[in-house]
Amino acid sequence: MDERLLPRGRRRAPFGRFLLWLLPWTALLAVGLYAAYLCLALGLNQTNMDNRFAFGLWIYLDLTVIALGAGAFFTGFLLYVMKKRALSAVVNSAVVIGFICYSGAVSILAIDVGQPLRAWFTFWHPNVHSMLTEVTFCLTCYLTVLAIEYLPLVLRNRQLKRRPSMLLFEFELHKVMAVFALVGTFLSFFHQGSLGGLYGVLQGRPFAYRESLAAWPSTFFLFILSAAAVGPSFVLATTWIVQKVSGRTLVKQEVFDLLARVSGSLLLVYVLAKSVDTLVWINHTSFALGVHPASYYAFAPFGTWALFAEIVLLGLVPALLLALPRTRRNPRVLVPAAFLACAGVATNRFVMTVQTLALPTLAFDRFLSYAPSWQETASFLAVVAYGVILYSISFRYLNLFPQERELAAAPEA
Amino acid sequence: MFPWSPEFKWDAYHVAFFGALYSVLATVAGTLAFAAWRAWRDARAGRAAAIAWHGDFEEMPRSARPCRHQLTGEAPERTCENGFDCRHCSAHGHFLALRQAAGAVEPAGHFGFDLPLDRLYHRGHTWVRPEPDGTLTVGLDDMARRLVGRPERVELPAPGDRLLVNGPAGRLRTRGREVRVLSPVDGKLLGVSGAGAAFTLRVDPGATADLRHLLSGDEVRAWGLRELERLQRALGSSALGTALADGGELVEDLGSVLPGDRYDAVLGDMLLEP
Repeated sequence: MDERLLPRGRRRAPFGRFLLWLLPWTALLAVGLYAAYLCLALGLNQTNMDNRFAFGLWIYLDLTVIALGAGAFFTGFLLYVMKKRALSAVVNSAVVIGFICYSGAVSILAIDVGQPLRAWFTFWHPNVHSMLTEVTFCLTCYLTVLAIEYLPLVLRNRQLKRRPSMLLFEFELHKVMAVFALVGTFLSFFHQGSLGGLYGVLQGRPFAYRESLAAWPSTFFLFILSAAAVGPSFVLATTWIVQKVSGRTLVKQEVFDLLARVSGSLLLVYVLAKSVDTLVWINHTSFALGVHPASYYAFAPFGTWALFAEIVLLGLVPALLLALPRTRRNPRVLVPAAFLACAGVATNRFVMTVQTLALPTLAFDRFLSYAPSWQETASFLAVVAYGVILYSISFRYLNLFPQERELAAAPEA
Repeated sequence: MFPWSPEFKWDAYHVAFFGALYSVLATVAGTLAFAAWRAWRDARAGRAAAIAWHGDFEEMPRSARPCRHQLTGEAPERTCENGFDCRHCSAHGHFLALRQAAGAVEPAGHFGFDLPLDRLYHRGHTWVRPEPDGTLTVGLDDMARRLVGRPERVELPAPGDRLLVNGPAGRLRTRGREVRVLSPVDGKLLGVSGAGAAFTLRVDPGATADLRHLLSGDEVRAWGLRELERLQRALGSSALGTALADGGELVEDLGSVLPGDRYDAVLGDMLLEP
């Protein structure tokens, strides 16, 4: 039915089966859209957030998908600027994933601000001293850049490229892609950093506060480093998932190897920096603010295990597994290590968002717990569904993995 | 009021913040506009066909892009980087001299399909025959004819249209699958004759026809064998059994024995439209 739109030589499921695959995700999207409507129409009282827990599930998952979506900018940077040609095998997929992550995050933010019709205020009346303003500007600019990077993929569709205007625009756009890769890198550095800086400047919350390095708190740099480190792991993990779901070999093993090497090396640097930062925070920063660091871990379930899990189990372990040639060349180790690295950054963002707000900071404060409402959960699951749907459509109709066709023919050669 | 913000002040924070923001916006918008302007310029210069071929050629695997001198042994392992247009290849003359020094190989053979040696061949499976009146006749070669079978629709350029080497010379629809045919020559189309896959185009190449990029003589045999290998690889092991490897005859209508998606891929592989 849709054969004329499919890329030549890529075997895809029959159209009916594809629609069946989309059905549950569409249902999930519909429920989430209803939940989002409730939040927009009736207000943020539909959520379990309050004045104390102003950041909840939405911000935590926004931070996580933005960190994981860093695979888009970092893969583009490695390919177009550092000339790592092997990554051309995954850069298209990385761009789609980045676009999904950022458009999903911005959609959720539009609900989270409570008054989306006034979202333009932040552009017209910006507080230039606010990390959030920097995040807002960089996110919107970078989403625009990602949309531009996505455009050539769409224009290369088998039917669209037959139109000369589309073909020529795609060709010329492709030639200037390095500029967009550089702009994307610049924007990503700043908004990833500012998201970290957002917590690092909270002097009233000693658990998150960090001392400054060249005007920025250390969390600014740690967020950049962690996002750049796990971005390639997320690209690796998603490519592996798509391979499993589609039953196709999509990239050569050497591409996985390169992604793992880059991710593992950067993750080692991150774990080292995070360890130094944690030691300074435990031995100096926290005491300087009048808080004994042990008190942060006195409230269940946030024991010291959380710190151990974040830095060692989900940081050092995957870093070593990905960085060492012997382990990363074993597929049974490689993929779980990439998932562990992604889980590590998710844990870090959870700790910075939820644990920071849960801990008491004043003498009359108490430890708070928070569980998201169904509206919050459903809204976010709608973003997941949107991501699966958009990625599935892109995978079916666009050339996300240029090596796929060659690899499909290889065993029979 | 620069930069159009009511709260803007000329201090370091505002200048740095807005400076960075507007620099990014200007870079993104400027680059986008630059790409659009270049696309418009390409369209006016009639470069669409060349750019389409460039894109297709880039997408083809290395195994589909052997240099003609790799086929005949002067340059083993060499891959074409010039879109099969030897007229712009600086090394072509050098390798040609090597071949002539080694002496010509006797052309011969039937490969399961016909490649008569009274004509020249383009890598996209079209042939060119220079006529005594200076015009050129262009048609699909036997392998392409067997690949497309009996097409439902044949779209050909109209007399008077200009053809360009590696530009489109037609579009075929067969068994619901579409594939374009590459033009092997530059020139003005004088007329079309024949029906279905047996169409021929009569082309006026102008003052002189530069046909250096086309295969001839002993090259044709080497190319034909390589194309058979490529076809066998594209078909995979399930479709035709061992007929080709055994030196059998290529079936008359390949589409009739292949599943649709596989047939589509084979058409693209062999007629160079990935």
